[in-house]
Amino acid sequence: MDTFRKLSLIGEHEASLWIEDGMTVAIGTPHPMGLIRQIIKRRVKNLTIVDGGICLDLLIAAGCVKRSVTYYGGGGFGIPVLPMFRQAVERGAMTVFECDEGTIMTGLRAAAQSLPFLPWRGGLGTSLPDVNPEFKTFSDPLSGQTLLAVPPIKPDIALLHADAADEFGNVQHIGGAGWLDPAFFRAADRTIVQVERIIPNERIRAEPEATTFARVDAVVRAPYGAHPFFSRGHYVRDEDHIKNYLNASAKAAAGDRAALDRYLDHYCYEPNDLGDYLERVGIKRLISLYEF
Amino acid sequence: MDTSYSPFEIMSVVLARELTNDDTVLVGTAMPMAEAAQRLAGLTHAPNMEIVNSPIRMNVSHLKQFPMPAYFGDRRPMRWAESYWDKGHRFDDVRAWKRYVFFIGGIQVDRFGNTNLIGIGSNYNKLKFRGPGSVGTTTISAHVGRYYIVLNSHNERTFVERCDFISTFGWGEGGADARKCVGLPGGGPKLCVTPLCVMDFDEETKHMRLVSVHPGVTEAEVQAKTSFPVLRKGPVPTTAPPSEEELRVLRTRIDMAGQLRPTA
Repeated sequence: MDTFRKLSLIGEHEASLWIEDGMTVAIGTPHPMGLIRQIIKRRVKNLTIVDGGICLDLLIAAGCVKRSVTYYGGGGFGIPVLPMFRQAVERGAMTVFECDEGTIMTGLRAAAQSLPFLPWRGGLGTSLPDVNPEFKTFSDPLSGQTLLAVPPIKPDIALLHADAADEFGNVQHIGGAGWLDPAFFRAADRTIVQVERIIPNERIRAEPEATTFARVDAVVRAPYGAHPFFSRGHYVRDEDHIKNYLNASAKAAAGDRAALDRYLDHYCYEPNDLGDYLERVGIKRLISLYEF
Repeated sequence: MDTSYSPFEIMSVVLARELTNDDTVLVGTAMPMAEAAQRLAGLTHAPNMEIVNSPIRMNVSHLKQFPMPAYFGDRRPMRWAESYWDKGHRFDDVRAWKRYVFFIGGIQVDRFGNTNLIGIGSNYNKLKFRGPGSVGTTTISAHVGRYYIVLNSHNERTFVERCDFISTFGWGEGGADARKCVGLPGGGPKLCVTPLCVMDFDEETKHMRLVSVHPGVTEAEVQAKTSFPVLRKGPVPTTAPPSEEELRVLRTRIDMAGQLRPTA
């Protein structure tokens, strides 16, 4: 019998081995890019990606995705639709579990509560139940109202990025555990959280009410690990880097993959680990991304 | 001061004038005109207005400047937040949304204000154009007190006879009880604002109709760029252009980077 409490702290290579072909993987915001790049480097296939923002496009570009659970596949104002996402769907290379924020939230909640469905109202009268046969309208046995039945959305694994954790998997955020992350944590079988810094367990105990996720399955130390995206309390988005990627993605969708393949080689396949990647980005760029 | 203005600036001003002191105004992603409108109203005639930008809730009446967000998910507006709600919490207070005002975009809109962000094509499994997806619009539009359809462009490809897919139910096949019949409690779309004009919905039929055309735009131009018949309540006035004060606040306290003046 172990006489010590189990440690959750593991390395990025070991963590990436948890993601296997065909899994359903939820990607949090801020995006855990260190782990995403390891998935790409290992050429994991046939993933179902839940959310993911712009890194959904990167995973599609690298050939990792067969399906996505998507309420938004755009890149913000000026990028109406992510280029590789658009191309892959239009070509039939991947399928979409069509939903909106309310229905994805409801599906994640159904999974967290081990229910076969939860009712929801948003989506009534729309094409949602037509284009996504997993949604069904039904008559509420109590009131007789017509409602939408939303099936559980159950990730095999949630990959998240946060400010800090101790070596036992107690996670704390700056600026809140936001967006869908709390729902992913509750719905997924297992959760890996990348953190900017590891802090001593005594610090967690000094302020336990600040703990956002207790006892996640694995913690990976990843300073600047959300680059080129933001990490709350640490750095903002690297707009030039993201623009460079999206331009390469748009060119690839128009038929010329050269720039996209160069991007994947330079930033995903060639670096061995996060340290290699950050060296390629460069310290000057990284320290320019301060929040205030 | 240069009092000429861009289509996005007049749209922002039209939307800001719609917002009142008692509104709670919710804006999602990739909607710069709505972002500008809530700021303009909050800094001028609606000091009590609540601003909700995804998870961040704030009142901004005391601010000298309230800049447009640099990107979606930007934490920096948190410095003005009075509360922060993750998505779980946000979708728990649906009952309170009858006080909310919301804005939606679309790649297609029909005469009854149904809109489409899913895609274009007759077969969902073989889309000619894959859209961005519904974001939060499907659920939020179902419940909010009123919402505005805000479109970046006005042409026949956007203003269609029938949406290929409906991601947001406006007034269905028409009629004042259309939403009630489907089971949607919210108040539905109030106006549709485009770079050319402002439209509302007939009280009885809920068919879209012209309210005003922006300066320099003719009714004939609006009809030529709209696939369904454009109805009128009566004579169609010109949209009141942005005042010098509205433009000054917009440019010096909100849109310092010129997001609303893409050609400048």
